[in-house]
Amino acid sequence: MFSPTTHPWVEGQTLGEHLESRGVGRREFLAYCRDLSIVLGLGTAMTPRVAHALQSMRRPSVIWLELQECTGCVESVLRSGSPTVGDLVLDMISLDYSEALMAGAGEAVERAKHDVMEQNRGEYLLVVTGSVPLAEDGIYLTIAGRTAKEVLEEAAAGAKAVIALGACAHWGSVQAARPNPTGAVGIPSLVKDKPLAVIAGCPPIADVVTATIVHFLTFGRLPAVDSQLRPTFAYGARIHDQCPKRANFDAGQYVEAFDDEAAKKGWCLYKVGCKGPATFSPCPIFMWNGSTSWPIGAGHPCIGCTEPNFWDSMTPFYGRLPDIAGFGVESKVDLIGAALAVGALGGVAAHAAATGVHLARQRRRELPVVEAGAEPKGGDRGQN
Amino acid sequence: MTATSPRPAPPEPSPVRPFRRLLGGKPMAQPEGEYRWVYLWGTPLRLMHWAAALSILVLVITGLYIGRPYFLGRGEASGSFLMGWVRFLHFTAAGVLVATGIVRAYWLLAGNKFERFTALFPLRPRDFANMFHQVRFYLMIRPERAPHYLGHNPLQQFSYTGIYLVTVLMVITGFIMYGQSEPGGFFYRAFNWAVPLLGGLQTVRFLHHVLTWVFVIFVPVHIYLAARADVWEHQGSISSIISGGRFVPKDVHFVDD
Repeated sequence: MFSPTTHPWVEGQTLGEHLESRGVGRREFLAYCRDLSIVLGLGTAMTPRVAHALQSMRRPSVIWLELQECTGCVESVLRSGSPTVGDLVLDMISLDYSEALMAGAGEAVERAKHDVMEQNRGEYLLVVTGSVPLAEDGIYLTIAGRTAKEVLEEAAAGAKAVIALGACAHWGSVQAARPNPTGAVGIPSLVKDKPLAVIAGCPPIADVVTATIVHFLTFGRLPAVDSQLRPTFAYGARIHDQCPKRANFDAGQYVEAFDDEAAKKGWCLYKVGCKGPATFSPCPIFMWNGSTSWPIGAGHPCIGCTEPNFWDSMTPFYGRLPDIAGFGVESKVDLIGAALAVGALGGVAAHAAATGVHLARQRRRELPVVEAGAEPKGGDRGQN
Repeated sequence: MTATSPRPAPPEPSPVRPFRRLLGGKPMAQPEGEYRWVYLWGTPLRLMHWAAALSILVLVITGLYIGRPYFLGRGEASGSFLMGWVRFLHFTAAGVLVATGIVRAYWLLAGNKFERFTALFPLRPRDFANMFHQVRFYLMIRPERAPHYLGHNPLQQFSYTGIYLVTVLMVITGFIMYGQSEPGGFFYRAFNWAVPLLGGLQTVRFLHHVLTWVFVIFVPVHIYLAARADVWEHQGSISSIISGGRFVPKDVHFVDD
């Protein structure tokens, strides 16, 4: 569907047979299965099982819902410089419904989607990109006259498993940022009774999507997930702990401006607001565009797009600390702190001086009494 | 001073020497009247105090560097481990602080009445009245009305209890960030539950950063008031956190005697 081919995957053909007809050699296919096993953290010993599952796979039905989103996830996942075997797998799962990619429109495809859901009830995989607006009964997004919530709930009801793809499906992304005018929420807030995996990121890495789908096809269930429902094989470690610039971090070598000498040397981006220390993502390992590069590799700090609420919590993107109340607290917190500390020191000094003056006055008042010998000299508290 | 030689006696030194004048004009008074020695702070508490003081000093200095690295490493990354060492010192000092916290927590149960858990919260009406007098004392309004305490006065106790609470928050936020490098590890499992409560990892970072300044502000005020109590009021409070006790006049009534 996505990579133009003269050899479409015909009904009933296994993926193995299909790949052979497309000129993909067995060796290449096994190498790909090995890579995927490693990506999934299964180890190479699982390669035969992955290969077996994939080659005997028969065109699984996938419905891809695109709700409140920018289509960037589809672009990220489906477009790559040169088609890989992974792309072919994505081709194959093929999409009985995908608004961005299907040629048809209108009632015909809506009916087709409905038929697919009926025929494959309980068997198909539902992929969702985009968030669901709930404000004002969800009128901010309607498809074929129904709200996104209804569309999602209907599709999720018959799905075997759901993959929420991208930051919008994860938690709502930019439209859910303050003040969230459309009341956008992520898929995990609505789909509670189905196996659900979140492929986080804005946009997510294609390899993670492929690997998750392959895991689903191989084992019949979604991979292990963390508290954010992100597969741990991909989101199990921080960018900071996998970063090629970590040596510069530990050495105390930081970029301070994007045109300084340190930036030319490719030093750590910690001081210009890199959110790697708060972000769980496989970016440093998988990278982007066929493992060509990635944001930090290109000299830009991580913005933390795989983390929930990153538009609010990770901003300013070029500052280390969050903008709590939206008036630049981050840039001022040390200034305020230092001013208070100096104020405390000044206050201490002033109080000490005032105490000296006070005691001197008191002594002057007491002086005649002392001379009269009626009272011992000095001592106001704790002494007599 | 008694003159034992037939030579003419040197002129009598002024009882108020210039340095003393600077400190309020009083010569260090000889004890007058009857004094007694009271033991206030047990050895674990004093050890904990000084270990915590040292570790907080290290934590603040290294913490401010981690928050905003003001020195940069030079040369190749392999030739420097500046941030690495700073973080090592920070985590080590944090370990010391946590150890002092454990000692303090135990001593809240095992200590004397000045050290026990109940002493942390002076919440009786009398305590508030005395706190009011204590504030007036520091403002030098009728200072003679200030109550006398063997241990901490309520104002002092609230500030220390507050510092304990800030420290607990610092420890929790610190361990949350420390645990991020190993999801599923001990520290992650032990502390990550607090992340949603605090509003996300970046808010945790922000809290940890901001609360550092509480210590920077607290320490000079604490040292000043302790020194003030010693120099002007002759309370022996600095001595008490070293030796454990202080001399107090027998004829003074202490609220918490």
